[in-house]
Amino acid sequence: MKKIDFVTLLKNYTSGWVAISADYTRVVLSGKTLQEVMKKAKRIKEKLYYFPAGESYGDFVGSTL
Amino acid sequence: MTIPYSPLPDIRSKIVLAPIIPVTFTYEDQSFSTFALVDSGAAGAVISTVIADALGIAWDKLPVSGGFSVGGTFRSRTFEHLTAEVLDHTFPLRVSIIEGIAPYKCILGQADLFQRAKITFEAYRKQFLIEFRRYN
Repeated sequence: MKKIDFVTLLKNYTSGWVAISADYTRVVLSGKTLQEVMKKAKRIKEKLYYFPAGESYGDFVGSTL
Repeated sequence: MTIPYSPLPDIRSKIVLAPIIPVTFTYEDQSFSTFALVDSGAAGAVISTVIADALGIAWDKLPVSGGFSVGGTFRSRTFEHLTAEVLDHTFPLRVSIIEGIAPYKCILGQADLFQRAKITFEAYRKQFLIEFRRYN
């Protein structure tokens, strides 16, 4: 599987949420809230993966809840 | 299948590498696709309340229980009616919905993904291998 490079994907997004393409290579939609992005996504047939922007994801790896 | 570790932005170290996998959760007629950390140290799956909301789960109506981790104490709700789809493999999922965690927090662990697949971490190669079990 191809690398999912969140550093590149999220570099132009400092807050809010994004919807990432099914091949994980581009941001298709963005918005201030997840609800806003999901509403916009109803127009799009492609499968989209939702992820918040502007976070510091170091704790993800540390697995601290 | 070999999956490279994903680079993620981080304030302290600028970039962290993590074993991340795409996942689609389904509850009734709602689906939500995002990315999960593959965590051999996690007892089971975890999602944030934000993800639970997106799936239409009335998590605040579920019984609450307390727990603790290296990050401190937390409030958790167990939800047993989710389905997860990972790399074209679909399986029922029991998740803990944790209050107050970052919205992106989504973890698959020992009770779920690790029961379905052989997972080998090769941190020195910055990748992991996942091989789903075959059911006849």
